[in-house]
Amino acid sequence: MSKKNEIAVEVKGLSKSYGPVQAVKSIDLQIGMGEYFALLGPSGGGKTTLLRLIGGFIRPTEGQVFLHNQEVSHLPPNARPTSMVFQSFALFPHMTVVQNVGYGLRLKKVASAEIKDKVANMLKTVGLDGYGERMPHELSGGQQQRVQLARSFVLETDILLLDEPLAALDANLRRDMCIELKRLQEKIGMTFIHVTHNQEEAMTVADNMAIIADGILVEMGKSSDLYENPIRRFTADFIGENNIFDGQVSKIEDDVIHVDLGSSSIAVLSRGQKTSVGDKVSVSVRSELARAIDTSTSSTEPLEILSGVHRESVYLGLTTSELITLDNGQEVLARRVSDRYGGHTISNGTSIKVGWRQQDGRLHIS
Amino acid sequence: MNDDYSSKWGYRLKWLYTLLVVTTLMLPVFFVMYISFNENGFGARDYDFTFEWYGLIFSDLLMMDAITSTLILSAITVIFVVPMGLITAKLYKITQYPLTVVSLMLSPLFVPSDILGAALLVFFKNLNGAFTLFGEWVGVSWFDTWFDLGYFSAIVGLIIYTLPYVFVVILITMGRYRKEQTEAARSCGATAWQAFWHVEFPQIKAGIFSSCAFTLILCFNEYTRTSLLKGGFDTFTTVLVSQMLNEGMSEQSYAMSSLVSYIAIAIIGSVIIFTLVRSERLERIARAKAEPLMAS
Repeated sequence: MSKKNEIAVEVKGLSKSYGPVQAVKSIDLQIGMGEYFALLGPSGGGKTTLLRLIGGFIRPTEGQVFLHNQEVSHLPPNARPTSMVFQSFALFPHMTVVQNVGYGLRLKKVASAEIKDKVANMLKTVGLDGYGERMPHELSGGQQQRVQLARSFVLETDILLLDEPLAALDANLRRDMCIELKRLQEKIGMTFIHVTHNQEEAMTVADNMAIIADGILVEMGKSSDLYENPIRRFTADFIGENNIFDGQVSKIEDDVIHVDLGSSSIAVLSRGQKTSVGDKVSVSVRSELARAIDTSTSSTEPLEILSGVHRESVYLGLTTSELITLDNGQEVLARRVSDRYGGHTISNGTSIKVGWRQQDGRLHIS
Repeated sequence: MNDDYSSKWGYRLKWLYTLLVVTTLMLPVFFVMYISFNENGFGARDYDFTFEWYGLIFSDLLMMDAITSTLILSAITVIFVVPMGLITAKLYKITQYPLTVVSLMLSPLFVPSDILGAALLVFFKNLNGAFTLFGEWVGVSWFDTWFDLGYFSAIVGLIIYTLPYVFVVILITMGRYRKEQTEAARSCGATAWQAFWHVEFPQIKAGIFSSCAFTLILCFNEYTRTSLLKGGFDTFTTVLVSQMLNEGMSEQSYAMSSLVSYIAIAIIGSVIIFTLVRSERLERIARAKAEPLMAS
């Protein structure tokens, strides 16, 4: 559960089925006011369906939606205190930028002079001063997205829903717009609910995020917590580049769980998670915490060690990734900052060890 | 011609073929226009140019009544059939069974017009009989002529005839419209009607107006269903056919036919020219405003 002062959005037991297909399965979620919240997950996992349920664009099969503690499950989108930004920009092509941005205000029968002022101020806020008389097809992708944002912001609703708003933009522009979205959200103070399948995007913008996969809420929390201390195996597999080892609990010594991987054994701290000998568990290790170690070298600190063969070094500028095939055939990744070892390279086919500190491993019982 | 590898002669032949087809289609119309200015009428050896027959159109009561009846039938048909086609096209876009919707909507096209007309004739006769009997049983005469053959039955026949065309024309125009725009309008606070009127309709109005025009033209053109379901010879086509069968078409008929053609060509030609000119103007404005495509 996340709270930021008070709760802006709450869903209880929310489900949506399309015939035999369950797109969303009994999700409970709370989003605080003024939060930038991301719904992250693989494509087809139900994140957009959940967003549209919150927005009122589809009816839930079961469950309830509360906005500012008022139940709105039965209300259409125009009756909810939400506005939405779409992946495909969804600007009205027959209206100018000014007309697009002012559309919602005209519906509210706001005075023309006031509409003119508000629209002008909002265009300045999103950096589109002077573009008022342009038509949507005369704008670039980033500009169209800003018009969409302006159209939503000007309505002064409390909650903005963003459905993969940056998916149609190129990588550089996406990065710039992430920062811009974050800046605008902090400036305006609205609650943002941002759907994306892009981890980098979610982690750039979000205060908190929820992992949605296969219609269920897998895990929720701060971006840093989900990255550094994922509880669920799926989260570890989805966020970051983690090595995941599946095995069985062979021994429990106080807080240390020994996990039998078949051909080898590793140990991990339980951190309060309850297991029994014989339970099937997983251990994840972030690739930047795993090190490739020469077989002839002995480590100065106690490490969990697995043996294998070095396959390839992939130079990615800032980092270099070492791909290693373990003795049991599993592939693992060890990443390092490229210049740390002064250009040290490992030959392909060399016998190698991969190691990490015990406290860097994460136990997953589900 | 944009493709460097295509044959120049092939391109020219394609244009020639297209012009030939258009000429073949329009030649009879132009011939009727030509006859309408002949003082001596159709088939005469001598050609003396005159506007006389155009002057007599409005004094030909039979023709004027026929035009009026046809316009009334057409207008009423448009009022009903265009909204029906629009609603069905919108249903097609959201339904899980689009094939069923399309099959149902296009099914009248697969029934020959005389068979459909005859079937409707039998249907209305039986319906009228049933309601009359019911009225007698209840002891009132209200229901006696409800489904008598006349304007009502003719309009039903025209709606069934024109609905598939209206559906297809509107559906084609809606092909470019994205439902996210309706959702965006709803999220701005628009009701379903406001979202349609402010956002969707401006983008599909070309299709709606086209279907209105198409319906008018189809109603003008219609003979079989109208004559079976209404009877008499008091619509534009039925009068012309009647004249042809009996005494031959009057000179005013050629003049009237040509006048209808002038109006249709003028309207459609104006729309095409306006659209081309406007498109050219908008492109010029867009080119003048264009900036390099850079990230903003």
